[in-house]
Amino acid sequence: MNTEERQLAEMLHRVTPEPPRRVTVEDVAYRLASEPPREPRSRRGSVWNSAFRGGRGWMPALAALSVFAIAGASAGIAAVTTSHHTRTGAPSDGTPPATVTVSGSPSPPAPAQSPPPTGETLRVAGGMWDAKLINRDLFSQGSLTGSGDSLYAVESGSLVRIDAASGAILQTTPYSPPVFTRPVVAGNTVWVVWSYGGSGIVLRGYDARTLAQVASVPVPASGGVSSLAQGVLAAGPDGQLYVAAGDTVATVDPATRQVTHRTGLTAGQASSVAVSPDGSKLYVGVGSFQLLVYDLPAGTQVSSSRMPVGSAGNLVATAGGVWGTTGIGMSQWVWFAPGGDLSRSFRVSQGAGGGFSSVPVYSGGVVWIGGTHELVCASPATGQALARTPIPADHSVVEYFASPTVLSNGHAYALYQDQRAQLAGVASLTPPQACLG
Amino acid sequence: MALASVEVLPVDGRPSEPDGFREFVEARSSALLRSGWLLTGDWPSAEDLVQSALAAAWPRWATLTRQDAPELYVRKIMVNTFLRWRRRRWNGEIATGRLPDMQAYGDAFAQIDARQALIAALDRLPPRQRAVVVLRYFADQTEAQTADALGCSVGAVKAHASKALARLRDAPGLAELMTGGVAS
Repeated sequence: MNTEERQLAEMLHRVTPEPPRRVTVEDVAYRLASEPPREPRSRRGSVWNSAFRGGRGWMPALAALSVFAIAGASAGIAAVTTSHHTRTGAPSDGTPPATVTVSGSPSPPAPAQSPPPTGETLRVAGGMWDAKLINRDLFSQGSLTGSGDSLYAVESGSLVRIDAASGAILQTTPYSPPVFTRPVVAGNTVWVVWSYGGSGIVLRGYDARTLAQVASVPVPASGGVSSLAQGVLAAGPDGQLYVAAGDTVATVDPATRQVTHRTGLTAGQASSVAVSPDGSKLYVGVGSFQLLVYDLPAGTQVSSSRMPVGSAGNLVATAGGVWGTTGIGMSQWVWFAPGGDLSRSFRVSQGAGGGFSSVPVYSGGVVWIGGTHELVCASPATGQALARTPIPADHSVVEYFASPTVLSNGHAYALYQDQRAQLAGVASLTPPQACLG
Repeated sequence: MALASVEVLPVDGRPSEPDGFREFVEARSSALLRSGWLLTGDWPSAEDLVQSALAAAWPRWATLTRQDAPELYVRKIMVNTFLRWRRRRWNGEIATGRLPDMQAYGDAFAQIDARQALIAALDRLPPRQRAVVVLRYFADQTEAQTADALGCSVGAVKAHASKALARLRDAPGLAELMTGGVAS
């Protein structure tokens, strides 16, 4: 090699980051069992592929997702009304191609990628809970969150703000999640994990209306980040942010944009964090799988318990305890641990079999669990299902609802896809009164 | 149902795990993923690539280990799968947004910008040139091993490498990266 070649080789080794997680034998086994090699969900591929790319990136351990991706899937938003008023939004006729930039510098928010939906409302999922599409854009599984009259989700290469009334995308800004964690809305800022790997983490904050970047917070990761990370960013009731940062959990004050506290862990690297609604408890997932519970005001660990599984995470805290996912692919389950004690935990819903669609969401006073089998709302106090409905298959091919999110206007929204029909959009559902919190 | 009994469910129809496969995956998946990231530019596609290659290697594992070259074989499958994927889809260049600011070395943003500058530079290369860059200069394969992986001559590898270097020379920010110091 000449000097230039040696410089290139050295630079490639220096700049190429460590992967956010590693491939496991189980990933390969699921791949073997499910399908032959196929097209990647490329950032430059079709919008159908793009929708899966995000999900795979956030939860690649779910190798069985490939089973469902084979038909070329679609994803979108399903709207769930928690009243019995049927909204009249409708799908747009076309889906714009996904766009990506490769610039790392802050970019101004882009205008809407899709026009407001027009036309007739399209019923989906056999009318399950009166499901109707109002939008056909494509989003990454489990990425939906919301505040006020806006929804936020991630599609290929972008964080987007969606008008909850019309389903139209109003703003976009470049963003590719390095690890699975839902965007967090705290006050007027939408926070995302911009970078997660090596020895450092970067959070970025975006104005909740314009999606203009308003903050960047580097967070050192002591000891390197967990390779099992999923669900690494949470907000407390006071708006403080909590980030799984190696063998610590970092507290970030969004006002000063500084790391204000670091909670050292006694057992390995944090893979997931959640904060109880009253701010009294910090739950931390470690390894495969240990749950640490901290008294947040005191900063002291109060308990620790284990679960004999290979991977778990996506913690969600409620008044009664903590929720999470375990397993991969078709074997994924959602569990609830009363008081944060895994020895008392029980299964709440069979998992998605389709990636992040079953990641639990605490919204509108209940815990929602989507998936490919059933849509469940459950009590945040007891973990018991309040209502559930089967999600029908489309000629034996699964459909899913994911990350239901209830807004203050009384409507809830969820990601939706029908893989066979390559159909996606914003639908309205009318869940039973039991789910109204 | 108590969770003490929760385990990952077995997969029907999957072949038995070959000896040494798990150890190889655990030891080398990080390096393979990094190669995949350089080829594809994003982690999800990199994981697809690595999983596809490992799935292809699984049934041949005993033969590969006897030949003492499982990693070469896996990388060969990776680059050829990558080339096949690229042939199947549109392959135009991607417009780069704002060019990264290369002045901010030493902070977290510089790391991110450096990675994106690298991927933007690699995106300028035709797929075979990109594969040569990854195999020769990241995976440290010889020209002969690279030629075998790509099914071409050593001379063709040299030509691809030369053209790739010429293109990378003109890539915004890459010269600074090659002579600068942004740790990953």
